Amino acid sequence: MFESTALNDKNRRVEKLWRLLFCAMTVMLVVPVLLILGVLVVKGGPAISMDFLFTDPTDGMTAGGVFPALIGTVWLVAVALLLSVPLGVAAALYLSEYAPDNLLTRIINLAIINLAGVPSIVHALFGVGAFVIFFQFGTSILAASLTLAVMTLPVVIVATRESMQSVPHAFREACWNMGATRWQTIRHVVLPNSISGILTGVILEVSRTAGETAPIMFTGAALFLPYLPQSVWDQTMAMSLHLFVVATQVPGVPEHLPFGVALVLISMVLAMNAVSIGFRMYLRGKKKW
Amino acid sequence: MKTGILSLAVVTAIALTACGRPAEGSGRVVLQNKGSDTLVNVAQAWAENYKDVNPGVAIAVTGGGSGTGISALINGTVDLANASRKMKPKELEMARANGVEPVEHIVGFDAVAVYLHENNPIDSFTIAQLADIYGEGGKTDEWGHLNVDVPGCNSSEIVRVSRQNNSGTYVYFKNAVLGKTGEYKLGSRDMHGSKDVVDLVEKTPCAIGFSGLAYATDHLKLASIAADDKSAPVAPTVASAMDGSYPIARPLLMYTAGEPTGAVKEYLDWILSDAGQRIILDKGYAPVRKLAE
Repeated sequence: MFESTALNDKNRRVEKLWRLLFCAMTVMLVVPVLLILGVLVVKGGPAISMDFLFTDPTDGMTAGGVFPALIGTVWLVAVALLLSVPLGVAAALYLSEYAPDNLLTRIINLAIINLAGVPSIVHALFGVGAFVIFFQFGTSILAASLTLAVMTLPVVIVATRESMQSVPHAFREACWNMGATRWQTIRHVVLPNSISGILTGVILEVSRTAGETAPIMFTGAALFLPYLPQSVWDQTMAMSLHLFVVATQVPGVPEHLPFGVALVLISMVLAMNAVSIGFRMYLRGKKKW
Repeated sequence: MKTGILSLAVVTAIALTACGRPAEGSGRVVLQNKGSDTLVNVAQAWAENYKDVNPGVAIAVTGGGSGTGISALINGTVDLANASRKMKPKELEMARANGVEPVEHIVGFDAVAVYLHENNPIDSFTIAQLADIYGEGGKTDEWGHLNVDVPGCNSSEIVRVSRQNNSGTYVYFKNAVLGKTGEYKLGSRDMHGSKDVVDLVEKTPCAIGFSGLAYATDHLKLASIAADDKSAPVAPTVASAMDGSYPIARPLLMYTAGEPTGAVKEYLDWILSDAGQRIILDKGYAPVRKLAE
């Protein structure tokens, strides 16, 4: 029907070139991830055993397992989520559904963006000053988790707000026209339709919370504590700090140990993520548009 | 809608009970022990072993440097601050202003070893030579200035490895080698941890570094140190640190707020007992006294 002209051919070649270039860049993004995982599995794999997961470190932390650190990280993440998710979702709800577009709202938005840009070590110092010393929580899980919660709030707020705003406005209007109040609309239309986006925010938060070292090392994490925490007032060991310690502070650590700790930490995060990703996929399947 | 309000109420209730709970009452005493990176590994070993001595007391050990431990003591957030240097007058003043009277306890001795790459032919330094290498205004910048040729070190430049400035080792080395008024030369590699110094020197033929003797490995050379031109160089060992013949050995300290009582006193007494001192010896430091065989 149509003869392809020289211009067509050229366009097609250029098109192909661009596609290849973008594809190569995408592949390059995946390479470091695979390399990291590969190195961890190869070097850390031999360290992993049931004993490694469920016993205390021994012999000056050059042998034994990571159990107290593992449980400590679960505590820190759980308490941080408990504090930041309700607060973050509530704030995002207000910003997305109620807040008028005025100067105050803009200032709040600006503050959230800036909060996201604060380096984690600054959050750590803030945590020491505010929670450890001023509120007298001492170095405790509560102080550390509060610091982590403050640090990760912007992630939750931004993700939640974005996903709420991606719910088509027509849905809300339809609901209002049926005589529903704002809160009824939020409860029955906005939240159910944005829950998968909120979960994305939570996933991001979990990974960041579990991996951060700076905010917890002055506020609640101990280098060594041979007991499991009993309440939020206790100090705790944590996987991220434990990794830092066995990698840089303790002489005579066998090489597989730090890699083993890193592997457990990353598997933990992946496992927690997998649960929420699975849940998200289930919810997304129920999405109506 | 009801479930929403209910879950909100539950969360609030949990948060409130958490805030209302007193810090004590879990039955176990937790002692906070924080500070010197030099002492951190022996502090950890003490804590690990004390679990069997007194299961009712848990010791939470944290590093960060002597400065970190001392400021925590001033703020009243630790029971025992580890330090590889004495508190400065200004720090004592700040502590007293906060109602804390620091009491010093010597828990061991540490020789600050001067580390060289294993191929480095130099065996010993005088303090003055070290000051020329590390100190501001010192003339020694190349291995050639000391009339040595270090195999593998092509540029002949001396790579100076030092510590971050809140490290007790940093302060001690400055006072003991560069003198009270001495300052470090700019351009050194400042590492965050004793082990990092050793790791870097091990891999760098041009390097010289200083760190606690306990961090020595088989792949490094430890230089002997002479106090001056007239005295004989002494090798850094536990024995020479203990008898005082090694010129750059220092006491390792724990500070408490006021005279220790109760669990803190029991823990300190145990640290100073033969059982506790054997652990510090195991870790490569010198005990406070000769131990019974």
